[in-house]
Amino acid sequence: MLIRAGHLMVMSLLLGLIVTGCAKRPATTSAASAPAPSAPPATSPATPAPVAPAPSAPAPAPSTPAPASAPAPRPAPKEFMAVAALKDVYFDFDKYDIRPADAKTLDANATWLKTNADNLVLIEGHCDERGTNEYNLALGERRAKATMNYLVSQGVQANRITIISYGEERPVCNEKNESCWSKNRRGHFLVKPR
Amino acid sequence: MRRTVLAAVLVGLVVVASLGPWPPPSAPAQGVDVYINVTGGGSKKLNIAIPNFTVVSGADAAGHAKLLAAVAGNDLTVSGFFSVVAGVEPVPANNAEELQRRWSEFAAAGAHAAVHGLLAVRGERLEAEMRLYDLTSPGYRLIASKKFDAAAPQARRLAHRIADEIVLQFTGEPGIADTKIAYVGGRPGAKEIIVADYDGAGAVPATRNGSINLMPVWSPDARSIAFTSFMNGYPDLFRMFPFEPQRPVQTLAAFAGINSSPAWSPDGRFLALTLSMHGNPEIYVLTVATGKLERLTRHASIDTEPVWSPTGRQIAFVSDRAGQPRIHVMDADGTNVRQLTSSGFHTQPRWSPKGNIIVYTQRQGTHDLWAIDVSGANPRPLTAGPGDNQGASWAPDGRHLAFQSNRSGRWQLYVMLLDGSSLTQIPLGVSDATSPTWSPRLP
Repeated sequence: MLIRAGHLMVMSLLLGLIVTGCAKRPATTSAASAPAPSAPPATSPATPAPVAPAPSAPAPAPSTPAPASAPAPRPAPKEFMAVAALKDVYFDFDKYDIRPADAKTLDANATWLKTNADNLVLIEGHCDERGTNEYNLALGERRAKATMNYLVSQGVQANRITIISYGEERPVCNEKNESCWSKNRRGHFLVKPR
Repeated sequence: MRRTVLAAVLVGLVVVASLGPWPPPSAPAQGVDVYINVTGGGSKKLNIAIPNFTVVSGADAAGHAKLLAAVAGNDLTVSGFFSVVAGVEPVPANNAEELQRRWSEFAAAGAHAAVHGLLAVRGERLEAEMRLYDLTSPGYRLIASKKFDAAAPQARRLAHRIADEIVLQFTGEPGIADTKIAYVGGRPGAKEIIVADYDGAGAVPATRNGSINLMPVWSPDARSIAFTSFMNGYPDLFRMFPFEPQRPVQTLAAFAGINSSPAWSPDGRFLALTLSMHGNPEIYVLTVATGKLERLTRHASIDTEPVWSPTGRQIAFVSDRAGQPRIHVMDADGTNVRQLTSSGFHTQPRWSPKGNIIVYTQRQGTHDLWAIDVSGANPRPLTAGPGDNQGASWAPDGRHLAFQSNRSGRWQLYVMLLDGSSLTQIPLGVSDATSPTWSPRLP
């Protein structure tokens, strides 16, 4: 696309500039004597100082009712604690299926949870740092969900289980190698008394 | 439109001076108008001189006259249209002879245009005038002039507006200097959203909740930012008003599961987002004013990362329904789903403001930015290392992209033109910066 410029004449060395033979539009700005635009710049965004409008001023912002919020009560994640008996499970890159070795871990976790039936459990789904944040948030939830489904299949009541995805945001290992990444692709368990 | 490409005629020129870095000038071609090809980056640039501004009133103890030239000069360089000389001594006001003498020096050095900047300091206010001259015309014709004013602490913004006006004069579309970039700063586990000028200056924290804050996206009016935060324990979706610090954060979606990947419709009335409240990440559209939710996808795969086409008629998104995550496109009502990219691991679709291409992130060992025509044709890489290059955000001109790269060993933000030229790092002074989101032009 070629967009017209002001009437600046081109110098021939500017090979990349395309020129044309006739003027079709006058220059868009006023001459030097034109009055200054009186409108000051809009609210100064760069300034950290508060610039809240005066209380009497009409609210300039669009109306923003708080729309969708969740009716479902969710237990606060910070109320849950780790317990040594519940071991993490791990996942292949970009996968959320339960591997056979991890199924054995989950069998043991299910047994503990059925024995300690007065505990609620929070399953965290995590990813390694590869991939992108948005996709990993979804992938982490898939891992937590797959882990939950397995526990339910082993007789743990679904209404005791809450899941949360942290995506790639809470790694346990911060090096950039497969050994580290494989530790981060995990399902983690926390419990709290009912 | 009638066009002629002029051939370079450089024979017999005498280089008179060397005020600028430009190649020597040729004889001016008269009676023509300039067009600048605004889509490409290209190496052919207009040589422009911006001497320090001339103080015509008041005392400039803070050095704004130099600042305005330096900041606007950098803006013009980043625009990709200009080769800039800034920071040279000011041109006296009200002295036509001296003006002609200085312009003739710049013209002899190869300048095609020059800016005469005038500054009046009136207490806490700055009044500036930009006069733009054509150094290729006889007598150095005045092309345009415009006055600007701002409070003194807004001097950089004043310079950005001057630069954007100069770009408008030469291309017909304003520049993108008077914009902001929001981004995520900090390490995993403690990430806050920060807002800075597009050139990295004036960074101010926009969240301070000590939690994990992700995926900032500007609303089309440049007044608010939607983002995902764990501040209430779970990944919920919020909206903040960074220029109205007293205004509380608004909850947009806090359903069971993930509430993420906000994308504003072009008119700002709707927000596409990802919710998993029904057990699987699906794409919904939220009517912001009423809270009404409409579900767009129904598929057992992961569907996430919606982005609107600039017309608002279509939505691109990521789905792994083909086995790996790929870019898909559907109508804004959820119908007519088609797979856009194939054979690869593709996330982070970003629809061009011009509408014709979608930039995305391809994972192939490391991550690089790719672009594909909306027709599905011509997938091509925009970056090829070093390191990972991902998380693109379009500037409002549809020419520049901001993105994150760890090429230096840490995540930092970079800006380049769509063709990969004019690559610069945004100086932010934080050790980890990710997820840039480029604001619309500020109101």
